[in-house]
Amino acid sequence: MIELKNVTRRFGDAVAVDRINLTVETGEVCVLVGSSGCGKSTTLRMINQLLPHSEGQILVDGNDVTAMNPEQLRLNMGYVIQGTGLFPHWTVARNIAMVPQLLKWPRERIDERVHELLTLLDLDQATHANKYPQQLSGGQAQRVGVARALAANPNILLMDEPFGALDAITRENLQLEMLRIQSQLRKTTVFVTHDIDEALRLATRIAVMDQGRIIQHDTPENILRRPASVFVENLVGKQDRGLKLMSLHTVRDLMEAPPQPREPEPGADGLKEDDSLRVALSIMLWQNWSQVPVFNADGQETGTITRDRIIQEGA
Amino acid sequence: MSIYSSVASNTMPNRVLPVLGCLALALVWLLDLGVIQPNRIVPGTGHGLISAVGGPWAGLVSLVLAGCVLLSFLPLRRRYLPLLGLVGLSLALLPLLLEVFAGRHLPEDAPYARSSIGAGFWCLLFLLSLMLIEILGRLGSGRGLQLMILAVIVGSWLWILRGGGLESLSLVREFNARPDKFEQALWTHLALAFGAVGISAGLAFLLALKMIRSVAWRRPILGAVSFLQTIPSLAVFGLLIAPLSALAAAFPALQAMGIRGIGWAPALLALVAYSLLPMVRNTFVALTEVPESLADAGRGMGMNERQLFFKLKLPLALPVIVEGVRITTIQAIGLTAVAALIGAGGFGSFIFQGLGQAAMDLVLLGALPTIALALLADALLTMLAASLKPTPATA
Repeated sequence: MIELKNVTRRFGDAVAVDRINLTVETGEVCVLVGSSGCGKSTTLRMINQLLPHSEGQILVDGNDVTAMNPEQLRLNMGYVIQGTGLFPHWTVARNIAMVPQLLKWPRERIDERVHELLTLLDLDQATHANKYPQQLSGGQAQRVGVARALAANPNILLMDEPFGALDAITRENLQLEMLRIQSQLRKTTVFVTHDIDEALRLATRIAVMDQGRIIQHDTPENILRRPASVFVENLVGKQDRGLKLMSLHTVRDLMEAPPQPREPEPGADGLKEDDSLRVALSIMLWQNWSQVPVFNADGQETGTITRDRIIQEGA
Repeated sequence: MSIYSSVASNTMPNRVLPVLGCLALALVWLLDLGVIQPNRIVPGTGHGLISAVGGPWAGLVSLVLAGCVLLSFLPLRRRYLPLLGLVGLSLALLPLLLEVFAGRHLPEDAPYARSSIGAGFWCLLFLLSLMLIEILGRLGSGRGLQLMILAVIVGSWLWILRGGGLESLSLVREFNARPDKFEQALWTHLALAFGAVGISAGLAFLLALKMIRSVAWRRPILGAVSFLQTIPSLAVFGLLIAPLSALAAAFPALQAMGIRGIGWAPALLALVAYSLLPMVRNTFVALTEVPESLADAGRGMGMNERQLFFKLKLPLALPVIVEGVRITTIQAIGLTAVAALIGAGGFGSFIFQGLGQAAMDLVLLGALPTIALALLADALLTMLAASLKPTPATA
């Protein structure tokens, strides 16, 4: 758990972060969102003390960070940054092994862990482990960046616009990847982004920041339904709010399920349980379907969903 | 090198080799290949190609050069390999021309007579070397092949020299008159140049660290080392005589160490002063140019400043630092020759002696090894820097 109590950061006379209070519960993903210069990165960097705070108190699992050795504090927090920050003179494997090596793990344990992480992040050991970062694509490099952050199994993950420099498709893939990994590992995560869609997709709770203050701290659904100010309302977008709400829910939430899943007819088209309602509606409008079968991950037909129900209850 | 080694360019007609080949052909015919001197001081009589080595040898030389020109015109994919063989073999056997020349022209009853190398021979050597470099570039050859060819050529020269046919060559005579002094000069030269580079490398490292730690020191340090570089080298050697003499007179302990107004002490000091600028600049730039995002990532992962320096900054900076060492070493080897003026010894002493006695071959005996040392240091340090570059080029 991370607690920020009345935390202020000044640069000279300028106040970058102004008396903020924020609690990130264990296992939740807190996304700090706002335009550039709003203090979101500063807030993140104060948590691992890359920037010391001017006033207030920062507690990690109940301990004041100023009382801890900063290196010790950071070794227990994964850190992912926008440009990946991978060391260009180290191979992928060595980059991932950085923190375990700093912690002086035995050789075999490090090798085993590197292998585990490459697998977790869908990177092939044989092709990628001995490459250098410059030989990777942007998406692969950032996967390695995430693997490096997870290497020593820290409780906390700090991510500073990690996918900001990637193209839209790669970014979406990595977001889905992150959701998958997070559902397995449940790290306490603080994630900084300026992209509200990314925030809505990944967050357990979103903290909207502006001019060094937290304007609203709430779940994605509440941020969309009850924006606390005009600023938040503009940030989330007034017009497509309905569609954005739909993207927060999955087909599974609104489908009508028969008691038993059954094998589909061969060649049948349909949706997956994990598809968002927004995607479902889009497909149904495009194909002019009024109802569609839904399949689970194993390919079994687990229910049907109707267009009317999505329109009535989706947003 | 990579742009030269692309496959497409290999079948294109080469423009460099014909020019070099034709130039060599013209110069070897126009200029004197060798000179016969009745004794060490008197100017000798020059001999052109035909007169120097006779018809068959002159024909062979012309044939080889013309062959190189023709081969380089052919649009063959594999023509660079035979070219490499031809030019490499010519270079390796080049001293044989001098042997033939001495055998034909040296009067047997004149013990003081000597042969020396003429402008035509130097041009031939120089142009053939350029052709070899061009061919190696086109072949995109690795370091191993280049070193092997160099070893073969140098080995062949030494073998011809051992044979004794070049005894009359005045360069060889100058060497044979003072083999001990030559060896001593070699060690003095190496000790002075590398001692200076070593000391200034250490000093420059500390200065660069100081500049990185405190911004206030940057301008003064860079200003000071730049200023040192602007003083003419002769002036530094001269300027140091007085203070060092005074120091030595005041402290007998220093005198016992061999520190005097002239000799190795002022030479070493001046060389160190000169070496500082490239070293400090390269070290400082290399260490500060490590991207801040990498340092940030390292710090964020829990590295302390010491680990950041040794695991990140130093390895990334090392190739550039070695580059500074390379520049400095070449410069120091050259400057050490000048330091002979204040009695520091080294190959420079032959140069100044030769100038004083109007004996050009003694000058060459000092100059040629200095050049060879500089080239060797350059090659070795370039290789070191390349091997330190930790990452392959971007795929």
